[in-house]
Amino acid sequence: MIPAGRSLVVALACCTLACAAAARLAGQVRAVPVDRVDFNTQIRPLLSDRCFRCHGPDAAKRKGELRLDVRAEALKDLGDGWAVVKPHDPVRSELVRRIFSDLDDDLMPPPDSHLSLSASEKDLLTTWVAQGAEYKSHWSLVPVAAAPVPSVGHRRTSLNPIDAFVRARLAREGIEPAPRASPEALIRRLAFNLTGLPPTPAEIDAFAADPSPKAYSRVVERYLASGAYGERMAVDWLDLARYADTYGYQADVERDMSPYRDWVVRAFNDNLPYDQFLTWQLAGDLLPGATRDQRIATAFNRLHRQTNEGGSIEEEFRTEYVADRVNTFGTAMLGLTLECARCHDHKFDPITQRDYFSLFAFFNNIDESGLYSHFTNATPTPALLLWPSHEESQHRGLTKRIASLEARLQAIAPSARAAFRTWHPGASLTPPVPVAHLSFDAVSGDTTPDLVSHVRVRLQDGPVLIRVNSQNPTPNSQDLTVNSQGPTPNSHMNAGSGSGLREGNGALQFSGDNSVVHPGVRSFGRTDPFSLALRLKPTEKQERAVLVHQSRAWTDAGSRGFELTLHEGRPFFGLIHFWPGNAIAVRAREPLPLGQWSRLVATYDGSSRASGLRMYLNGRPLETEVVRDHLYKDITYTREAGERSQARQPLTVAARFRDSGFKNGLIDDLQVFDTRLTEAEIAGTLGSDAGHEAAFEHFLARYHEESRSLLGELRALRAEENGLVGAVPEIMVMEEMPDPRPAHLLARGSYDAPGDVVPRDTPASLPPFPRGAPRDRLGLARWLTSRQNPLTARVVVNRIWRMHFGRGIVASQEDFGGQGKLPTHPELLDWLTERFVREGWDVKGLHRMIVASETFQQSSQASPETLRRDPENALLARGSKTRLQAEQIRDSALAAAGLLNRAIGGPSVKPYQPPGLWEQSGTGKTYTQDTGDKLYRRSLYTFWRRTSPPPSMTTFDALSREVCTARRDATATPLQSLVLLNDPQFVEAARVLAQGLVQRFPQDPAARSHEAFRALIGRSPDVTEGAILARHYAEQQELYGADPANASRLLRVGEAPADDSLPTAEVAATTAVASLIMNFDEFIVLR
Amino acid sequence: MTNHMCTGPAPGAGMSRRQVLNRFGMGLGGIALANLINPSPLAASAASPGAQQGGLLGGRLHHPAKARRVIYLFMAGGPSQMETFDYKPLLRERNGEQLPDSVRQGQRLTGMSGNQSSLPLAGSQFGFGRHGQNGTWVSDLLPHTAQIVDKLCIVRSLFTEAINHDPAITFLQTGSQIAGRPSVGSWVHYGLGTDNQDLPAFVVLITPGKVDQPLYARLWGSGFLPAEHQGVQFRSGRDAVLYLNNPDGVTRESRRLLLDRLRDLHAHAAEALGDSEVDARIAQYEMSYRMQSSVPGVMDVSDETPETFALYGEDARTPGTFAANCLLARRLAERGVKFIQLYHQGWDQHDNLPRDIQRQCRETDQASAALVTDLDRRGMLDDTLVVWGGEFGRTGYSQGRLTATNYGRDHHPRCFTIWMAGGGVKAGLVHGATDDFSYNIAEGGVHVHDFHATLLHLLGVDHERLVHLYQGRRFRLTDVHGKVVEALLA
Repeated sequence: MIPAGRSLVVALACCTLACAAAARLAGQVRAVPVDRVDFNTQIRPLLSDRCFRCHGPDAAKRKGELRLDVRAEALKDLGDGWAVVKPHDPVRSELVRRIFSDLDDDLMPPPDSHLSLSASEKDLLTTWVAQGAEYKSHWSLVPVAAAPVPSVGHRRTSLNPIDAFVRARLAREGIEPAPRASPEALIRRLAFNLTGLPPTPAEIDAFAADPSPKAYSRVVERYLASGAYGERMAVDWLDLARYADTYGYQADVERDMSPYRDWVVRAFNDNLPYDQFLTWQLAGDLLPGATRDQRIATAFNRLHRQTNEGGSIEEEFRTEYVADRVNTFGTAMLGLTLECARCHDHKFDPITQRDYFSLFAFFNNIDESGLYSHFTNATPTPALLLWPSHEESQHRGLTKRIASLEARLQAIAPSARAAFRTWHPGASLTPPVPVAHLSFDAVSGDTTPDLVSHVRVRLQDGPVLIRVNSQNPTPNSQDLTVNSQGPTPNSHMNAGSGSGLREGNGALQFSGDNSVVHPGVRSFGRTDPFSLALRLKPTEKQERAVLVHQSRAWTDAGSRGFELTLHEGRPFFGLIHFWPGNAIAVRAREPLPLGQWSRLVATYDGSSRASGLRMYLNGRPLETEVVRDHLYKDITYTREAGERSQARQPLTVAARFRDSGFKNGLIDDLQVFDTRLTEAEIAGTLGSDAGHEAAFEHFLARYHEESRSLLGELRALRAEENGLVGAVPEIMVMEEMPDPRPAHLLARGSYDAPGDVVPRDTPASLPPFPRGAPRDRLGLARWLTSRQNPLTARVVVNRIWRMHFGRGIVASQEDFGGQGKLPTHPELLDWLTERFVREGWDVKGLHRMIVASETFQQSSQASPETLRRDPENALLARGSKTRLQAEQIRDSALAAAGLLNRAIGGPSVKPYQPPGLWEQSGTGKTYTQDTGDKLYRRSLYTFWRRTSPPPSMTTFDALSREVCTARRDATATPLQSLVLLNDPQFVEAARVLAQGLVQRFPQDPAARSHEAFRALIGRSPDVTEGAILARHYAEQQELYGADPANASRLLRVGEAPADDSLPTAEVAATTAVASLIMNFDEFIVLR
Repeated sequence: MTNHMCTGPAPGAGMSRRQVLNRFGMGLGGIALANLINPSPLAASAASPGAQQGGLLGGRLHHPAKARRVIYLFMAGGPSQMETFDYKPLLRERNGEQLPDSVRQGQRLTGMSGNQSSLPLAGSQFGFGRHGQNGTWVSDLLPHTAQIVDKLCIVRSLFTEAINHDPAITFLQTGSQIAGRPSVGSWVHYGLGTDNQDLPAFVVLITPGKVDQPLYARLWGSGFLPAEHQGVQFRSGRDAVLYLNNPDGVTRESRRLLLDRLRDLHAHAAEALGDSEVDARIAQYEMSYRMQSSVPGVMDVSDETPETFALYGEDARTPGTFAANCLLARRLAERGVKFIQLYHQGWDQHDNLPRDIQRQCRETDQASAALVTDLDRRGMLDDTLVVWGGEFGRTGYSQGRLTATNYGRDHHPRCFTIWMAGGGVKAGLVHGATDDFSYNIAEGGVHVHDFHATLLHLLGVDHERLVHLYQGRRFRLTDVHGKVVEALLA
């Protein structure tokens, strides 16, 4: 080991230079007097930034089979005494030779990478090799260790540990900490940092007047206990959670996720331990006996953008959603850029593409669709019903009554056996009369008659009438096209007409694009028993083919309605509110034969259960599998289903909007019944006997009085339940599917390139998955919050630190990986983290600890010398200076004016916004501004439209919330000046503040200015400032005195009422004073 | 030393903030120091063509620029190449026949036409003629554009990856289908700063009232770049720029007095605090005041000649029309605005294409051509790059029913046409070709990343070296792809 300060040149000069390269190298390598080089702070950042792109963790893009992120690989022997990195021997280290090479095709990093190393960086690497090329684990992946609190020599020992760490460093640098800030500055800092709101003048006065040491902690406790604390904390978290009020892509439709936002506020206010805060969001649904709040918290994973753009490929977007969950998990909870590993191994951090998809596997197992519904306002599944409390008990009562009726129905069946034995089964063969019957025997123009209602039913885009050889419905029978005028004159009806299931000699052939549309059939809801019967002859193998449905569209409507379709030829019958998570459906196990006529009957009993769906082929029950069995809202397009308007869907045959129609197939003799046909009826129509039990079931359904009356009661109760649940709002949450959906490694991250199936797992470079923990999101949460996890707690401690100092101990709070910034005070970060976890992830406790430090309480004023030496205040020799967030700026104006509405929670509100912005985006949506109290809610509650966020907020760097973002910048632009000067929200606040001051100080303009300054800036103006304000008032008073009309106009800005009893020129001039102060730097900068 | 790739703040580069501000003046949003100075000698070698100020490159370009500014006429929705610039007589000959599988090659379709039972070829119902010295085929729907075809560089072989509007337009405007990346204009602003102290460097103009595929703030957003680089929308009507006008009852005189007192307050604070950012605040407010006159000044076209209105069409007298926006774009370009992004919606013609595309062409043809002509007459075309085009093309087969008089076309990412003019592109060039079905690229394919690389190249920027470090990664407009299409360069 080379002692600190010694020159390397000695060591190098002593080498025997064995080759020309080494000779040249020795000439280039300069003397570098150095301390011991530290790998983590000095070398890894260089290797990572300049070398890892080609020689790092990404195996696919690795050049020359060389990786420099693993020591054993870097030490690879190259023969002749050379190695890539030869410890203690830079002259025979290829790495050193290459970084000093003057040949373009030899030099590292290569010129075409546009990366380069400075002379001092080259020297540093050389020295590192000379000192033995030691490697260390990346600091953030090393477990948190409780560092001993340093003793700071002559200082008193009762120092807050934060101060001990900070002062120890300052002492090394020879910098003196700044003195304590003024009481006014301190309480303003506390108020904004802990509540996001300014202190009131009364609070300032009380604090300034109380010199006791308890006064400070009393203020801290009051702020931590206020509801505003949770709101302030929520703003930052909601940036990470990408919380907004709209879906985000294209049409960007509104969706209310405010219960989640309100839960976040509540969780912070209740000081929910942070490990729980994360666990609930990640896996609240999997906690035993999960509460409503625990389920709502999981909405975190559903806040990603979603699309309803027509023609989108469902799987492509579903994949995006899952990926977004993984990325957000990485950035928000681990401080890692996992998304880099979606398409390839991470370039800089030890995260492989396999790791990425192993995490992906935790998040892909919910019953969701890649598209939300364009034609309905269904909540994408899985979703949680948000019952109002009084209705919930009513609903519980109803479901109980329904269950007991169903049980009674079962129970009385045996007692009906006796009556059944005396019943004459002959009568069973008279099936009910259909409500619609399309025999397709006659076509006139583009219509065909409904034989029941005699309504002319429309043929859309020309299905072709075919003459059917019905006497011999074999695969080889010839079906002949007839002319478009209708069937031949000598056609005759088959026997059995009136039976409800008869055969004619005409049928329609469909192209896949055309259809029959019957608007006269009533809309069947989920509590209505109904049946469909038809004959069909498929001729082609199709992935999907639509037969009969009552539905607006396929994915564009979330498949709302009922549908009878073929999937790979297998009959599928479903009732759907939103596919896939709010639906029941069954599918036959075997496909229908091609080129043959089949008689298909589908029946439904009104139970909202998959077991209530049955299908029959040629009179015999079809063996089916349950595809979905979770329907809890109606399948219609009406208010009962939660829609805003009533719309009826026609019964449609053979095609559906943007679905795959029945191609080159024939359909005949479609009948619709508003009852569940019994098996006996279905068999009986074909002249066969379904057997004894079917006959008994038929008897119960049609003849047994008690059963029939119970059924009627049941149906009424179900309708009542349906009416109750329809209007209940839902929120998207997480809910596991029983059978995990396999996750594949996707080549290039692309949905259409699935590779190996990967099991659920966490990255190999991080601590192992806890033994015994379930392999689901709950297990993942346990891993995330375990003491072994080196990242989670450090990330949050750093983030909370940043709320108080404007920058984190790790400045790159969005990246704790190898490319991130190193901590300025690593031991302090670890000490705080260890304590935070030990004290039960106590967030309020962490705030208390930080604000109690002298470091926090320093004045932000600094000497020019300190400013020069540490412009970023990385060493914390002074208090922080930060630009307020967009929300804080607006809230601050409202609070100072006394306008602020402090109500917590509820749906988002729409304050002032320049007209036309939504309209101009071309979605046809209009921004309807709220009025009254809603104009003055905290900005946290402002409606957030992702594709057109409120401009007064984004001008001050608020995010669009389209994706998880871990940092907001603080820019300064003229557009911000325009907002503060001209936005009605600020002008109104200025004039309401002014009006109150004129009321309070009718004769004393100076007092008004003084108080306005205190209300907005939090301190009294000094003499010079007082003079400027006085001059401003006089100038404006003169202008408005001469032009009272203008004064009146100014006092009409905004909706808050003006007090007309006051002298307008004085109020207007005072308004100008308030406006001046709102534009003063100190209004938006916290010092 | 500071790595030139990294854009972290570099306040320790030997100048105080005040010095910096004095030296470089204040661009819109010129206060973020990282963007005002570039201390690295590695970043640039070529001299800037003029007094370009600020930006990552600090006026020192990677190579001499051909274009100093860009006017991008974005045709949102995806105009059909077969009705505009990509003449395909075969589609007419084989009208109604099925798209051959050998042409489709199993490529994915959208869910809109993907379930159609047939994909009938649809020939354009509009005539084409040969124009200009090279006899370039242009649709009869674009008579004015046809007249200036010798000035255009037509790329018939652009292709993209996305098949739906949102990802596709986001890709073309930000280089990524996923939201969160900076827009092209933001990158240009970020790299090159501004040439004008009184107007934003990146201005967005939209034809209002066109309800079609929506436009999103992210298309001109700054993504992870500081918010000052986002596009500033100019709108017709009272507030051309949001919050530009003084509130009711506040006169310009009153505002001036307020700003004078504000300057007093800030000067006093700067003295007391020794904080140069407070100085910057003064400049910020002065510029907002200047914008209050510079913006209405540029919007007020009453000083334009009757000849100019005749050139752009009488529509140009109606604020907000595409023609008015083209004229406004020229006025902004004259004043040194660096990136002017127009949007005209309404090209998403899934059905009723013959009717709708006539309307769209009527609205845009004359003014687009006039803009090129006007810039040329004023000697500005040489250093102004004009771009015309949408986010993808349309299918050679009909979406929905093909009838004798009507058809529609679905989205088609495999090939589409854009044109460029001025700013260092080769005039009179037709680059690339599609197959006879306008389905696949036959030669000279230009990927969206290549287009972006070329656009930056014309501005004197190496697309591989205009980077921003965010979350540990060097981001570029072109991600890790893109190559300059040399064939397009004059």
